[in-house]
Amino acid sequence: MLSALFAAECPISLVRELRDADPRSMPARLWKSLADAGVFGLLLPQEYGGAGGALSDLGIFCLEAGRGLCPTIVHGTVQAALAIQLLGGPDQHAAWLPSLADGKISATTCLWGPRNAAVTTPTLRVRAEAWGGWRLSGAVDFVADADLADHVVVSAAAPGERVMAFVVPLAAAGLWIDPLRLMGGHRTFRIGFDDVEVIDPAAVLDGADGAGLAEQDLRRVANAAVALLSLDLVGVGEAVLQRTVDYTMARKQFGRPIASFQAAQHLVANMHIALAAARLAAHSAVFCIGKGHTATRQTAIGRMHAATAAKLITLDAHQLHGGMGYVVETDLHLFSERARVLSTLGGGADVAATWLEDEA
Amino acid sequence: MVDFELDAAQDAWLAEVRAFLTENVTPALRSELAEHGQELPDREVAAFRRRIGERGWFGLNWPSEYGGLGLGAVYQHLLMREFEYWGVPGPDLTVTSVAPMIMRHGTEQNKLEFLPPIARGELICAVGYSEPEAGTDLASLRTRAVQDGDEWVITGSKIWNSVANRATHEWLCVRTDPSAARHRGISVVMVPMNLPGIEIRPLYAWSGYRTNEVFFDAVRVPVGNLIGELNRGWTYITGALDLERGALTNAGDLRRALDDLTELAGRPRRDGSVPLQIAGFRRRLAQAEADVEAAMLMGYQAASLLESGVIPTVDVSVEKVFSSELRQRIADLAIDLLGPDGLLEYRSPGAPEDGKFERLYRVSPLMRFGGGTNEVLRDVIAQRGHGMPSYGR
Repeated sequence: MLSALFAAECPISLVRELRDADPRSMPARLWKSLADAGVFGLLLPQEYGGAGGALSDLGIFCLEAGRGLCPTIVHGTVQAALAIQLLGGPDQHAAWLPSLADGKISATTCLWGPRNAAVTTPTLRVRAEAWGGWRLSGAVDFVADADLADHVVVSAAAPGERVMAFVVPLAAAGLWIDPLRLMGGHRTFRIGFDDVEVIDPAAVLDGADGAGLAEQDLRRVANAAVALLSLDLVGVGEAVLQRTVDYTMARKQFGRPIASFQAAQHLVANMHIALAAARLAAHSAVFCIGKGHTATRQTAIGRMHAATAAKLITLDAHQLHGGMGYVVETDLHLFSERARVLSTLGGGADVAATWLEDEA
Repeated sequence: MVDFELDAAQDAWLAEVRAFLTENVTPALRSELAEHGQELPDREVAAFRRRIGERGWFGLNWPSEYGGLGLGAVYQHLLMREFEYWGVPGPDLTVTSVAPMIMRHGTEQNKLEFLPPIARGELICAVGYSEPEAGTDLASLRTRAVQDGDEWVITGSKIWNSVANRATHEWLCVRTDPSAARHRGISVVMVPMNLPGIEIRPLYAWSGYRTNEVFFDAVRVPVGNLIGELNRGWTYITGALDLERGALTNAGDLRRALDDLTELAGRPRRDGSVPLQIAGFRRRLAQAEADVEAAMLMGYQAASLLESGVIPTVDVSVEKVFSSELRQRIADLAIDLLGPDGLLEYRSPGAPEDGKFERLYRVSPLMRFGGGTNEVLRDVIAQRGHGMPSYGR
């Protein structure tokens, strides 16, 4: 069902438009289809309009999203809902989850380091105002899709090593964004907060006892995002492996399909093996987090395999396509760019290995 | 045995090349290269090319009878490595691949007509080998030349003609005897690009570079533009491909990339962390250092062999496979090491080294399949290097 949805509503022309247009606008039709299909509420409690599903269900969606080159504003919105669900209380849930569940609002998140998702120490600072509100200051880097999202869920350090998070409209007074344009037109931004005011208590995520967010909880949110994006990378790998097999079967040289050459078959087999490891490891991570664990070990292993596999598969796909995959009109590069970008943000295999070291 | 030390004359040559580059690689040239790549009719680039030609450096290893300086292949290698290191265009395939073939196999008329303008940098060839259906299997090419009086009439198309839009000529591989076995009916013809019936269509690569598809519709060329003998072209171009491989892979660009990356590794990233403080990156940089050194030695060895009159088929295959895969490893290491900073798009604000490594990642797939795929070259190494049997490609 999801693959049919992406085939119909996320054509390459849409992917290219979001890649190249400046400024760009929300993919409204795709967004509505995903909302109608219940994607945004998949994981959220039924009382807030969600389906009450498991994180694994969202994992299956993310894999298809990777296959279909789904715009990452969808991932950001899902991550934001997950963060509010895991970090907020009843007031925050009631305020945000219904409109997130049915796709009325979009969001992006900034709760972990863009280079290393294990770093949950905020770069923003927050101070309490005498009148009961909060003021945010500082800047954060590499926030995805801040040009499209309605809100950002961002963490900030309050005095006394207390970490809080806030749901802030990107149109808030004192908030500015500067583009940090990545490979393949992937849009991230530096967001500056010049004493941005937060008044609504429902926009404040402050832990169960109001004494700040626990590092463990932030880490679980970060791990969930990393693990889900690892499944996106698996989807990228699956799509590219399929394209590559199809191409080598159709492309004839020396009077036979290049698929009949052992060298080509071995490259395909290597892709398959890398993908098998990545798929299992990433699904396992999402499953463990869904069971309520922080699952840093599984998250690290999933990311190490998914990042490695997605890069290997896309680069070897270029090798098997030759010039025919190198010209931009054949679209292969769209997958290669997504593989390199998503396997870097939050940390690739090098960074994820340090999470595993820290667990030992 | 390779002499691992340059002699005094070669040292002096290297110093001369560096002095030339210091003097002539101006900010204006740099900015034109960054702005237009190889796309537009060039000003600074053309002037730079003329200055190379004035020094005779396009013919530096040609015999003096053809307007060359008569210097050895090692001199050519050192010059090209240095140009690659500086990231500026130097002797291209016209000089390193086409001209030697003309010298070896061309008629006296071919030599007189084409070599002097190549030496001056005025004749620039697009190399017309691949066709949409004839890539790795080059011998299946279908572009035809039929003799009509004192002209060849050429019809067909070529692809991946990277410089066709600014070339003066096409070094064109054509089928001249359709009844002969695949390899035997092929000839090479020099085709001026300004003739009627030639159409050039751009193709854009992931690297951002332009390449072209070139169409020939009954293009008429004097019979004298046939290179060497009729139906002997396959022998010529396979030799040219070996030279091309040797010339394309001198590792100067890899040396530069690693120098730049090592420098960047000591600087703080946007989040304040310094890659060199992480042991894993020091280890990977050390591995890259060892690999770049090996690639440099391979290039030097190939040049030494060429200088002794051998076309080092197996050695240049080794060098090409090794350095093209190394290029991809360095590009990947660079983005790992720089983190998200390394993803910042080429020439976008705040990108380290102007996004050079983001682009290198997109450039690096090319040389794994271009100029002979690494799979075919591995066959060459096993079969020609070790006498292992062919499996009948």
